[in-house]
Amino acid sequence: MTEETPFRHESIWHMVAAPTVWTLHFAIIYAITAVECSKIGTPEVARLSILVLTVVALALIGWIAWKAWVQWDYPDDQDYVHDKPTVEDRREFLGHAGFLLSIASAIGVIFVAMPALFIETCL
Amino acid sequence: MLDAPVDAEVKARREADLRRAWETPKGWRYWSAVNNTEVGVWYSLTAFFFMLCAGVLALLMRIQLAVPDNDFLSADRFNQFFTMHGSAMMFLFAVPMFEAVSILILPAFLGARDMPFPRLSAYGYWSFLIGGIFVLGSILFNVAPSSGWFMYPPLATEQEGIGPDIWLLGLSFIEVASIAAAVELIVGTIKCRPPGMRINLMPLYAWYVLVVGVMILFAFPPLIAGDFLFELQRSMDWPFFDPDRGGDPLLWQHLFWIFGHPEVYIVFLPSIAIAAMIVPTAAQRPMVGYSWIVLSAVGVGFLSFGLWVHHMFTTGLPSLSLGFFSAASEAVVIPTGVQIFAFVATLMVGRVTMSQPMLWIAGALAIFTAGGLTGVMVAIAPFDWQVHDTYFIVAHLHYTLFGGMVFPIIGGIYYFYPFITKKKMSDRLSRWAFWLTFSGFNICFLPMHLTGLQGMPRRVVTYPEAAGWDVLNMVSTLGSFIVAAGILVFAWDLLRPKGRQPLTERNPWNAGTLEWSHDVPEEAWGVRSVPYISSRYPLWEQPKFLERFDDGKFYIPDAPEGKRETIVTSAVDAVPQAVVQVTGPAWVTLWAAAFTGGAFILPVFKFYWLSAFSGVCAVACVIYWLWTSTAQVPKTPMRDAGLGLRLPVYVTGPKAPGWWAVFITMLGDATAFASLVFGVFFFWTARPDFPPEGAALPDMMWALLALLAFVVAWGATVAARELNRGGRQGVARWCIVGAVVATLAALGGMWLAIVLPGLQPETHAFPAVMYALTVWTSAHCVLAVVMLLYCLAGSVFGKLTQLYDADLRNTTLFWHFMCLSGVITTLLVGVAPRLM
Ligand code: HEM
Ligand SMILES: [Cu+2]
Repeated sequence: MTEETPFRHESIWHMVAAPTVWTLHFAIIYAITAVECSKIGTPEVARLSILVLTVVALALIGWIAWKAWVQWDYPDDQDYVHDKPTVEDRREFLGHAGFLLSIASAIGVIFVAMPALFIETCL
Repeated sequence: MLDAPVDAEVKARREADLRRAWETPKGWRYWSAVNNTEVGVWYSLTAFFFMLCAGVLALLMRIQLAVPDNDFLSADRFNQFFTMHGSAMMFLFAVPMFEAVSILILPAFLGARDMPFPRLSAYGYWSFLIGGIFVLGSILFNVAPSSGWFMYPPLATEQEGIGPDIWLLGLSFIEVASIAAAVELIVGTIKCRPPGMRINLMPLYAWYVLVVGVMILFAFPPLIAGDFLFELQRSMDWPFFDPDRGGDPLLWQHLFWIFGHPEVYIVFLPSIAIAAMIVPTAAQRPMVGYSWIVLSAVGVGFLSFGLWVHHMFTTGLPSLSLGFFSAASEAVVIPTGVQIFAFVATLMVGRVTMSQPMLWIAGALAIFTAGGLTGVMVAIAPFDWQVHDTYFIVAHLHYTLFGGMVFPIIGGIYYFYPFITKKKMSDRLSRWAFWLTFSGFNICFLPMHLTGLQGMPRRVVTYPEAAGWDVLNMVSTLGSFIVAAGILVFAWDLLRPKGRQPLTERNPWNAGTLEWSHDVPEEAWGVRSVPYISSRYPLWEQPKFLERFDDGKFYIPDAPEGKRETIVTSAVDAVPQAVVQVTGPAWVTLWAAAFTGGAFILPVFKFYWLSAFSGVCAVACVIYWLWTSTAQVPKTPMRDAGLGLRLPVYVTGPKAPGWWAVFITMLGDATAFASLVFGVFFFWTARPDFPPEGAALPDMMWALLALLAFVVAWGATVAARELNRGGRQGVARWCIVGAVVATLAALGGMWLAIVLPGLQPETHAFPAVMYALTVWTSAHCVLAVVMLLYCLAGSVFGKLTQLYDADLRNTTLFWHFMCLSGVITTLLVGVAPRLM
């Protein structure tokens, strides 16, 4: 490890970054749909923006997942228990949990966006 | 150092000191106790009592429904009963029970002496008791609310009598207490872990407490905001939910279910948390997949906020929007399932003993899974359109609530009983209680799926014979009495006198977690010494742990000044930071709760002035309590904490539990405010006439001046903090005075902005919501002034000094939020309507 420990190694905020992206994605697409359906009546713009936002959200989550994977560094020592009272185990644990949360959030984002693929009206 | 022998005399003296410091008051003074072990027991027994009351209502309803065309209960009484049954089960039992149990056992999991703010727990408990009795008592006077536990307008806004007011004000009061407890639990988990217990070693229960606490913080405030609007409509006739005057009843449904769905998980996760403690013990091995469980707890916490509209599938929202919520409802199954698989895996690789608690947990898993399956069904909108508001839903919700809450809690009580009372419950009675409850439950609720599919609507007082629902209903009623018998057996086992029974052994289940280092017979000091932790299961894995613990070889094994103290550590790595004093027994908490109760309850009877007076008294009590017992300037700044460690006895800023408490409370407060803002935008999208054509708009200039004043007041507060820290107390005091003046100016500006142009809140939802925002922010201004004056007084009387500035730091933190909400309010009032 370098002499400076990066903040992310001891940060719960980084661990929950992916679900936070899920939340924002969810809130924004809900708001866009609500506004367009009430003000215009058809969800064209909304569906397009949902597509774009979903790609953005997935890219973000992918990036977060990658950073978390690196922090976990599973291939290095194949540790997935992290129950020792050490700086290393704490870092790996937060990375591991963050990585799993990224997967769950990615699934969540895809699930939530799917209806926009199939439903073409506001009715 | 850990192996050096402790002198017997020293040890005895320290124990005596500790015992004296933590002594529980005797006689009638017992009720002034604030210790988590006392308050936790009162709290859980009260919640259990409310549950029994709600259960009696359920039985009476089941008698009424047993045969067709029955007239055992009148329609109105039936309505009151199902409303109170649902409301009491949810607000007076499910959530408080979690908080009660956590207050009782969390400190022991964390090897802490007590919760960080014992008086706050006591205050929360007394508030809960007063509010609960008030709400439940209304049923005896035949004035209870009767529009269902979700109080939909217009039914509930139009209802005659005081029923809805009792519901709104009484339950808001209890929600405030719930939030107080959540704040305390979060701070306890973050700041009161024992040295060495890094975040990756935290007991799973603590993870769940953290997640659920945060969920409460984000879920309850929308409901409080909704209650606020609702009560304004009922008492002042401001038409938020009245479509004739620009309002919209759906706003309530949104606010209610943004609370209501997470609530279901708020109820469910703590029970899973209990299971997460019992399962490793039953399997006699560490939990498999610790990270996976953390994933699922946190994941469920997030996802559960994206489900609320699945309660509104039939309200005519755009089908695209319905799609999002349907999908999210299915997605939440993934993290929920993960934890169940982790439990099963742990049980499979371990050597399981089917102990009493484990039996209940197994029953819980079975029932909850069944409830989850019907949940997946109703989350699909077209299916829900078929069964909405039928007995299918009643069956579904009871499967999840019984399986997800009642069974695990009872299992948990069997498990923790020896820890709480130092006695054991009976094996034989446990089996009776379990099999009666389990079979009775299924006999009662399984047929309801069918009753629902055959078309029986929920919330009906009776049904005609021709409908052909009579056999199924009779079976359900029989089943409900079997459940009742099971619960009574459990209650008897819980409460029966056990005076002659021997004390339990110290660790009866051979568990690995810290709480089983408790003292038998009981000691009030919480832990003999605050341990150093290097494992997830210290009792299994740390050699000679108990011996060192008992000899007081770890931290603060003494109370040299006779004070109640606990160790504060850093949030992630649990590095010791301070030994802080915690508050002891007091009556003022009881008074504060009583006056707060008055402030909430008196408006029901239209005693507005008395209520305001009561509110002022409550604030006075709280100020007295803070002034006399929190953030006191210490006589000696450092203390020897044991194991060669010297720690400060005063911390300020983000190191201090008090700072965290303010931060967390403000997050909740900001959520309530955000819900009001959501209301404004909701009206804008849902109503074509928002703001109505040609209506008077608030004055922009005054609003912007108010905005400026908010920023000035905030700047002055920050300046005061900095100057005070730099040793320039005199100037700092003037800054505080300046901040007070600017706050008052902002308050005035906000009101002029809406009063001068002649906005009339009764006429339309638009002016009403402008008024509501102003009222909300004004109340915060008053609070801000009180806090600033408190700091000023502290500075003048030497409670707040250059070094010891916690109060000012906390006030500044409050001001960050205050300034933000002031700016948003003024922009929403002064600028936004012109753009809409
Ligand atoms: C012996 C156990 C119980 C029985 C026999 C029972 C029975 C009932 C009955 C008959 C209703 C009214 C159905 C209707 O008319 O629509 C009901 C509603 C409800 N119950 Fe229970 N219940 C029991 C336990 C519980 C528990 C433990 C909880 C929660 C922790 C709970 C929560 C609710 C809720 C939220 C409602 C909906 C109220 C409403 O429609 O406003 N029940 N229950
Ligand atoms: Cu729900």
